[in-house]
Amino acid sequence: MTKTIVEVSSLVKQYGSLRAVDDITFELYEGEVFAFLGPNGAGKTTTVEILECIRPLTSGSARVFGYDVTQSNDVKEIKKRIGVLPQDFSALDKLTVKENIDLIGGMYEKKLDTNEVVKLLDLEDKAKERFENLSGGLKQRVGVAAALVNDPQLVFLDEPTTGLDPKARREVWSVIENLKTLGKTVFLTTHYMEEAQVLADRIAVINKGKIAVIGSPQDLVSQYGGRKVLVVRKGGKELARTLQNRYGSTFEHYGDVIVKVDDVKEMWQIMSTLTDMKMDKEIEIQSPTIEDVFLKVVGGRITEEGELK
Amino acid sequence: MKRTLAIFTAVTKNWLRSRSGLFFSIMFPVLLLLLFGAIFGGGGGTSTYSLFVQNLDRTADGAPTDLSNAFIEALNSTETFNIRDVPADANATSYAREALGPLGGNIRILIIPEDFQDDLLNGTMKVRVSVSYSTLLTAYPYFATQLNETQRIAVEQGIAQLGQYNATYPQRTTSLTLILDSADQSAAIVKGIVINIANAFNYGLIGAKNVINFSEEQPSTAKQFRFIDYYLPGVIAAFIMTNGIIGVTTNTTEFKRRGITKRLSITPLTKIEWILGNVLSQTLLNLMLTAIIVVVGWLIFKVQAIPDPVSIAIIFLGSVMFSGIGMLLSGLVKDVEAASAIGNAIAFPMMFLSGTYWPIEFMPSYLQSIAKVLPLTYFSDGLRYAMIYKYSEGIVTNTAIISALAAVFIIVGALVTRWKEK
Repeated sequence: MTKTIVEVSSLVKQYGSLRAVDDITFELYEGEVFAFLGPNGAGKTTTVEILECIRPLTSGSARVFGYDVTQSNDVKEIKKRIGVLPQDFSALDKLTVKENIDLIGGMYEKKLDTNEVVKLLDLEDKAKERFENLSGGLKQRVGVAAALVNDPQLVFLDEPTTGLDPKARREVWSVIENLKTLGKTVFLTTHYMEEAQVLADRIAVINKGKIAVIGSPQDLVSQYGGRKVLVVRKGGKELARTLQNRYGSTFEHYGDVIVKVDDVKEMWQIMSTLTDMKMDKEIEIQSPTIEDVFLKVVGGRITEEGELK
Repeated sequence: MKRTLAIFTAVTKNWLRSRSGLFFSIMFPVLLLLLFGAIFGGGGGTSTYSLFVQNLDRTADGAPTDLSNAFIEALNSTETFNIRDVPADANATSYAREALGPLGGNIRILIIPEDFQDDLLNGTMKVRVSVSYSTLLTAYPYFATQLNETQRIAVEQGIAQLGQYNATYPQRTTSLTLILDSADQSAAIVKGIVINIANAFNYGLIGAKNVINFSEEQPSTAKQFRFIDYYLPGVIAAFIMTNGIIGVTTNTTEFKRRGITKRLSITPLTKIEWILGNVLSQTLLNLMLTAIIVVVGWLIFKVQAIPDPVSIAIIFLGSVMFSGIGMLLSGLVKDVEAASAIGNAIAFPMMFLSGTYWPIEFMPSYLQSIAKVLPLTYFSDGLRYAMIYKYSEGIVTNTAIISALAAVFIIVGALVTRWKEK
């Protein structure tokens, strides 16, 4: 039976007239990577910070490892057991990588050997480098190392790849995948669709403080993602008319012909039609993604900067 | 304790490796000490004031008269003035302005008038006659009874003739002209010296001897302290204050802005451990600052005001007090720019109003009232009492005030430091 690590029930966080977190309920299970996916201002960080015991809740309840985040004695227990990579992680500039990890480690009664953590995050070459001289990706890796130094059971990663270039982002993804193999439970917040889809076992789509949908990426895609599409690159208007007449759900977009396909059988029929027409254009089959799910349940897309459009 | 020590170590290392931090915390105070020490600390000869002198009292062949020349010599003998002659036929002010050149400087001109010597001698004679007549009138009743009739008549005739001579002798005085810029900070000193020399001439020419004399002694201890020794505790106190109010405020606000404080607050670290770690780091910095300032002062200016254990205890308490103010301010402001602005706005007026660089008595009474509520006043006074005067009552009183303020600021600093988001 899967053990519940985090239990959130009817959680509300109110700032004056603004309801940043609006009556949300969810659970986190041991060993899973759980992603909060939503635009800036959706309530992701507020929720995470309530669970990290650094932000008070307005109403509802939140328990981590069974401990209540509102009780000071429980807070001490929670803080011992969690590791955190906060949003926009930073450290003391003039200290080295190892010294910064040591600093965080020094806050705990029990901690891992710093060299071990450095090795785990593949930071051995940079251990004596000052934090100020590191690239963005390496800084995030130091942040993850600091989050792991107390050997936590639950790791919060708040927007771990925001502002990183694609290469650095992939490096951080690899680190997160490793955490899963180490048996850590990971609570990830992100506004990158691909990140949530690649890394998470379960995703909660959150917008305006409310959870819109929650489930595994596969379930969400099959439930809300819509149909697969077949794209004929530069197929032209004539082909679009032909396919529309035979199969419906076809349109032309910047010269490409896009057909929404119900099932595999229909896919083969369309391919056969294209073969009969001796079509030599490039063909691409696209499956629905979390982005489609998001578009469907929220009614917008998230920009690179995290804004809802 | 372990966590406080970890914060202390990390913050101290971070500071020691920061060039700008080191400059403003250590090098800048040392440079200021060197600068003030060079100005006030002795070495390299005494300072002199430029003084233009136009001597209009000349003989028929154009040479200065003996007495006017002697007056200028007397000015020279003080070794206070760099005397520059102004030709007798020149406009003294225009001449001085031209001589000072485009970069300017303060105009100080002494004009010795024509007939200075004659007027001085005649005026002196009148004074001598007047004093003699007055003395005889006062003394005569006491010895008249011892004289016979003939002697009495002769003396009375003599006194009457002297009285007549005194009444008819012309009253002549002479007047020196001193032209000084109203903005000249040294005007009072120059004027005081010139008046002293004029008075010495007045008394010397009538043959008067000083009745009141002065002897100068040090107020305390066997050591011979100089200005730089008195200045040293002020420099130490002032920069411990700026390190606390500007340094701690900007550093901790920067930690807050960059999320470092927030990251630490997620760990088991408590707010008071965080504050104590920072305060201890600041205290170490201030002890290092004190050691460096004292060593530099000793090597270059041979200062004798070396901190003893009592002074070190006061420095510790002062560091805690000003770090507490720094923590308090950083708890109130949101960004580093505001922290720097508010730190400077508090530290600099306090530095100049607390008697660290000049005595509080020099300031107007309303500023003296302000000085009495500034923590730096008690810190620099306490330190000066401990390092120089060894004045127990002053040490105890000021240390008690510093301790109480340190406790208040640390407690209030802890209260306003946010350890949880809203």
